[in-house]
Amino acid sequence: MTGLPVSTYVLSTGLALILIGLWGLLMQKNIIRMIIGFSLVDTGIHMVMIAIGYVTGGTAPIIDSAVPIKDAATRVVDPVPSALVLTAIVIGLGVTAVMLSYAVNIYREKKSLSIDDCSESKW
Amino acid sequence: MVAAVFHPLGIFIVALGTAFLTPLLFRKREGFASLIFMLALAAMATIAAAGFLALANGAPTIEIETAGIAPPFAINLRFGLYESFFVFAVNLAALLAAWHYLPRLRKHAATLLLFIIMVMGIDGMVMTRDLFNLFIFIEITSIATYTLIGFEREAGMLSAGFKYIIATSIASAFFLLGTIFVYYQTGTLNIDDIIAHQSAIGGPIGFVALLLLLTSLLIELKPYPANGWGLDVYETAPSAIASMISVGVSAGVIFALYKVQPLFGDFLTSIAVVGGITFLASNVIGLRQNNVKRLLGYSSIGQMGLMVLAMALLQQHGQHTHLALIVGGLFLNHLLAKAGLFWLAGVVQRDTVRGWAGVAGKPLLLLVLGVCLAALIGLPPFPGFWAKWGLVMELAVDNLYGWIALVLVGSLLEAAYLFRWFGHALRADDSEPVNVGVAPLLPPAAAAALLAVAGYFTARSAGVVPGQLLLPVYAAGALFLLDGLPGRLKSLAMLAVVAGGGFWVAGDLQGLNRIFALILVAGGLLMAVATLYRGDARKGFYPLLAALLLSLATLLTAHTSLEFFTSWELMTLSSYLLVTLGRDGVKPALSYLLFSLGSAFLILAGFAVAFAATGSIELAALGNAGDSVPLVFSLLALGFVIKAGAFGFHIWLPGAYTEADDDTTAILSAVMSKASIFGLVIVAGQLGVRADIGLEPAYVLGWIGMLTATFGALMAVFQEDFKRLLAYSSMGQLGYIVAGIALMSHLGWVAALYMTVNHFLYKGVLFLAAAGVIYRTNTRLMYQMGGLIKNMPVTFVAVMMAIIAMSGVPPLTGFGGKWLLFNAMMDKGWYWLAAVGFFSSAVAFLYMFRILQTVFLGQRKLAHKDLREAPLILLVPQVVMLVIILVLSAYPKLLLDPLSAAVAPYVPGALLWDGLALQSHLGYWNAPMIMIIVGGVWAIPLIFLLLVSLTIKIQPVKQFNIVYAAERPHRPEDTHYAYRFFAHYERAIGVLVKPHATAFWSAVSEWSHTLAASLRILYTGNGQTYVLFILVYFVALYFANTGTV
Repeated sequence: MTGLPVSTYVLSTGLALILIGLWGLLMQKNIIRMIIGFSLVDTGIHMVMIAIGYVTGGTAPIIDSAVPIKDAATRVVDPVPSALVLTAIVIGLGVTAVMLSYAVNIYREKKSLSIDDCSESKW
Repeated sequence: MVAAVFHPLGIFIVALGTAFLTPLLFRKREGFASLIFMLALAAMATIAAAGFLALANGAPTIEIETAGIAPPFAINLRFGLYESFFVFAVNLAALLAAWHYLPRLRKHAATLLLFIIMVMGIDGMVMTRDLFNLFIFIEITSIATYTLIGFEREAGMLSAGFKYIIATSIASAFFLLGTIFVYYQTGTLNIDDIIAHQSAIGGPIGFVALLLLLTSLLIELKPYPANGWGLDVYETAPSAIASMISVGVSAGVIFALYKVQPLFGDFLTSIAVVGGITFLASNVIGLRQNNVKRLLGYSSIGQMGLMVLAMALLQQHGQHTHLALIVGGLFLNHLLAKAGLFWLAGVVQRDTVRGWAGVAGKPLLLLVLGVCLAALIGLPPFPGFWAKWGLVMELAVDNLYGWIALVLVGSLLEAAYLFRWFGHALRADDSEPVNVGVAPLLPPAAAAALLAVAGYFTARSAGVVPGQLLLPVYAAGALFLLDGLPGRLKSLAMLAVVAGGGFWVAGDLQGLNRIFALILVAGGLLMAVATLYRGDARKGFYPLLAALLLSLATLLTAHTSLEFFTSWELMTLSSYLLVTLGRDGVKPALSYLLFSLGSAFLILAGFAVAFAATGSIELAALGNAGDSVPLVFSLLALGFVIKAGAFGFHIWLPGAYTEADDDTTAILSAVMSKASIFGLVIVAGQLGVRADIGLEPAYVLGWIGMLTATFGALMAVFQEDFKRLLAYSSMGQLGYIVAGIALMSHLGWVAALYMTVNHFLYKGVLFLAAAGVIYRTNTRLMYQMGGLIKNMPVTFVAVMMAIIAMSGVPPLTGFGGKWLLFNAMMDKGWYWLAAVGFFSSAVAFLYMFRILQTVFLGQRKLAHKDLREAPLILLVPQVVMLVIILVLSAYPKLLLDPLSAAVAPYVPGALLWDGLALQSHLGYWNAPMIMIIVGGVWAIPLIFLLLVSLTIKIQPVKQFNIVYAAERPHRPEDTHYAYRFFAHYERAIGVLVKPHATAFWSAVSEWSHTLAASLRILYTGNGQTYVLFILVYFVALYFANTGTV
């Protein structure tokens, strides 16, 4: 493989997803679409995290005969960001679920899914 | 064993265990599940309390390691003194919130579970030392909060909840990104480790990483203007949940900010600015808010801003030692007060501040409301007072005067809208009364009680001995318990408490303080005897009066500026509440409170500047302030003269004096107003004379005094209301006293103190006489009176003598005051001031004789035919004071010698006596001789008239001897000859008494409201706009700090 390391692609895709997600949050009136926007931001962040932990040409962080412990720091991918991403995915799932249940209840109460109809309180 | 039971990890075990058990238990027995839930919360609070107590007594910080591996390789939690304090406070609030909200919470297993998880999440935010773990706890708390906001499924809650989720999710996303970038640069997630490797964070990535973390935490604290989503939740969410967001979640976030703040060394100014803008903007916008819970939201956001500001500035200037008292005090104060208010709002269930008229007349509810509000704006004895004092002092030490101004202005604005709300709660109108039992009030009442306890301990850690100093509070509390007794019994109890307490506190004072003790404490007690004249219950009156009089006693004993200021604020609070008890007292009381707080804040600022200059809070050290002396003197003197009703700032005075109860007014005018004179004398004695600051501030003060005297007199001339006339008269007479102090000479000070004593005597008599007349006639309007000399001869004589004593004509005491004052002014060469003084004395005479003529002479109204003399108990203090006036008139030496001796330490000099005649270089004053001559001068015409009346038949003018030539009176007032008595003068000099000052202050109020309207325009209610604000906020912080790193 030539050119940029794979982590750069992941990183830039992740950042692009974050921006697309923010755009969705800002521009889409439909609450479901806003939630999708949030999910994109979330996924984008996860990709950025993975990209940061990546070591070019590294292998899985399993220390055995293939990877002696003294070479571990240079040859294996940093496992911490991956572990963090797992947790972050779980949390993102929880938040998305709460958001969707809000969407359901908002629709039930107002028969509308537009964020513009959610501005009862102001000033 | 005990240590194991109370180990902080138990908090998490209990919380998680209960959370898992709840759905199972709930299926079997709902009641049992909620019992276990409450027990679990209580256990969590107990563990935290035990930990806090142990740590406060010196136990070592508990480090909790997880997975059996030491940090930074595994997550660790810390339970130190600060952590335990926050955790305990939050868990206590959570326990009370759950108690308040249990009837709704217990309906679903999910809500019980989520509530306990939310509390655990906050505890985790406080305790964890791992950046990613912090993120987890923020999210746990958030998810639980999201669900609790919306679980009642009401449309407004759902909308607000969704906006809240979107906003805080973005904040969390920022936090996560920031965390991963920090990890990328430092290779660790442990906060201590990150701080140790701070230098590794750098370059654009490091800068953005820190900025992301900072933005995230600030957004969670709802900074202006990116906080509309938070306000919407405060407004709509159930009170218990709103309270937990306001005091619990914010506590976790602010502690998180404190933990990572060492990373933000370069951003501290930005953080302080963010806090400052938020504090000021929220409190401005709050002015226009009528929805109670949204109002509380503005106040919450503002208070968080204040804490952020305090934390950033104190850390920036290395004041770490004061951080605990100041931020801890502000935090605890806000936690208890705001939570209590949210719960009250939940109990009362009235959306708008006007709707709170329904709680009028409910003592427990009003007490709790009042305690929480007083605490929130930082009045003693609550923790916020000591914390704010400390904050202002430390800011002054670091020369951050602009920040002091910001903090004080913001606090004043907050007081304006919070006490406007309180005013509505005090005044019953036609809205439906609120029906609340005692049980639902217990959680907010517990918060109020805890505030008092916390105040006591904060006072001790602020270095104050709260024994004597807080006597007014104890006395009021004790008398409040007796408030169910009959009126006169309570009055006697109050007199006993004030007499005993006053003697204990102020009994052994010497010199100047003794003179003031005689006026303020003994005089106050004498006036308080008059309160026996009304037999009704007067709920709350006697405790407040005792607090007022005892705070005057403690004021005199103050050695430090903190003690002085504490007594001063207790006096302000109790007198404000006393004014609200008057028939239409609520509205004027608010303007009285705001001007009093404004003056108190000037005094606070003055003390702070002095502290910065001298490093001491001893009052005796004020004079060492060096270059700061002119500033200190100006701030303090301005504060005191505002409280004395100085011209331009006087607009609170007529309303408060007129609308307060009649005996209250007598005490406010005759007694309490002398407290500002005392303050002025103390300050002038320390600064004005000793440090020789040059004449300018004193000369300005002299003019303020004389202009006050002139305009007070002018405005008194045109009044129809008996008490309003006397109120303006008080304002004017205090002006002379201020001018006397401004002279800074021995004779000037003797004159000022002489007039102080005299004003106490005659104004006491006049207001008590007015009380008697109003009690009998049921009106304050003088044109509805007349001819009362026949019914109330003793009152008439009392008023006549008091007026002579006031007017400055021989032979009574007033003459001596004027003689001394003008002599002192001539000595000093202040001829113009003396001329203005002559003019205003002449004007004053116009209103004085009018009282006699309008009220007591002329024709009596038919309805007043059978009126009786004023109640005896009202006459007793008047007679005592008249006797004193007579004695002092004949032998002024009795008073002048002690006064001269008392002021000699400050302004050296002595009075020259020639026998009983006082000498000055302009002449001499022989009081006994004058007495005899005046007696003779009056006796001759009297004898003549008596002889005439024996020989000529006198026909009295009867009620219907009035002839209107083909005219008829258009209004009933016109039938009284003294109605608009000085209308002809009004045409000539009316332009002088146009209410310019009132117009100015109304305009100030209007500008603030307009400003509020334009600031809150950003809160469109649209969720996407709020998202945009958050993103823009990040960008703004980015550009604001690009230069710094």
